[in-house]
Amino acid sequence: MNTIMKRLGMAALVLACGAVRGQTLDEILKKAVEQKVQQQTGNDISGLLTGVSQDEEIAIGRQIAGDLLGAAPLVKDAKLQKYVNNVGRWVAAQSERPDLPWHFGVIDSMDINAFAAPGGYIFVTRGLYRLLTNEAQLAGVLGHEIGHVIKQHHLKLLQQSRMIEMGGKLVTKQAGDNESVQKVIGSGAEVAARSLDKGAEFEADRIGVVLGARAGYEPYALPEVLQLLGHFTANDSSVALLFKTHPLPDARLDKLGLAMGDTFDRIKGLPLDKRFYKLK
Amino acid sequence: MRRTKMILALLVAMAAWSAETGTLLKIDTLRAEPYGDAKTVATFAVGDKVDILKKSGGWLQVKGTKGKGWVRMLSVRTGAASKKGSAASGLLDLASGRTGTGKVVATTGIRGLSEEDLKAAKFNETELKLAESYATSAVDARKFAAQGKLAARKVDYLPAPQ
Repeated sequence: MNTIMKRLGMAALVLACGAVRGQTLDEILKKAVEQKVQQQTGNDISGLLTGVSQDEEIAIGRQIAGDLLGAAPLVKDAKLQKYVNNVGRWVAAQSERPDLPWHFGVIDSMDINAFAAPGGYIFVTRGLYRLLTNEAQLAGVLGHEIGHVIKQHHLKLLQQSRMIEMGGKLVTKQAGDNESVQKVIGSGAEVAARSLDKGAEFEADRIGVVLGARAGYEPYALPEVLQLLGHFTANDSSVALLFKTHPLPDARLDKLGLAMGDTFDRIKGLPLDKRFYKLK
Repeated sequence: MRRTKMILALLVAMAAWSAETGTLLKIDTLRAEPYGDAKTVATFAVGDKVDILKKSGGWLQVKGTKGKGWVRMLSVRTGAASKKGSAASGLLDLASGRTGTGKVVATTGIRGLSEEDLKAAKFNETELKLAESYATSAVDARKFAAQGKLAARKVDYLPAPQ
């Protein structure tokens, strides 16, 4: 970020000196900053945040994951947790960040939700997991969350709210509770309860479908899950936070339908319902 | 014999009872086969009701006043928006051949995960280390995929619809 500001500052100086008539220095600066922000939040795959190293990204995600687990611990079923990591890692391997230290888990809450933290920490609640009937659906849900991670949606959210002091001041030690990182993410795991913009959710849906399909799964598995979520009424407490922080299922299905069109009519895949690990 | 008949009748009744309904979310075409270029049977209007018979990929086989055929799954809202607490049966059970079988009922002692719970959460190092201990390596993930006969393939990212 420092280098960006320097570059922007220099560009502005050059422009100001170069007799740009009718524009104040403020306007020129504003425009330059807007362009830069557009470049950074745009949809291109190379648009990873500059100024936050991968180590910092992971340290931030790790702190959020530890806080989230403080609210709801893991379901105590080692086979389940290993299974979810196998599926998740295979789906993540189809993304452009296959080498992040990906972690997946099922947390013990009957709320229906899933969470992604920067650096590749992804959790699904027991409530959501129990709705699923095959591995392809799990892959789709994890693919949606992987989409948030590779697009750095939450990192950008933290940055927008100026919580991340850009410029590499974060301590990135891997062990234990990290005070300076906690300051960045606010109170507890509150960032997990914040809404991304709708565009980011629709984008994650599209990524979830594509990553699942790339991994060899049935491409319509994520839309199946969205249809299931549409069975819940908005006043059902188990979906309260999910519906508050995401566009409603009908809107997501509508957008996903438009994006998918007939692309997947002839791309079949496996549902793998027999291998799906059933929760007791 | 009589008893068998009764059981049969009961099973038929149960099957009818658990048939899933759907509502058209948008105008779409009812087709003879589950393909975009298959023969048109009828055109649905928003709000049309259908019974869902089965599922194939992105298509649902449906029956209604406009006839029987296939419609894109993403044009249909399945089930009634009245489920509460319990996991939904229906389409997914249908897809996996579990129609009419054990509905999941919410257990007591439910741990919620509200905004307040998340804000108040305290870092749990033990659980985090446990979570990290389950990580799968890229090599093991490939083995796992091969065991399930999953083959990676090239699929382009989908652009945002206009």
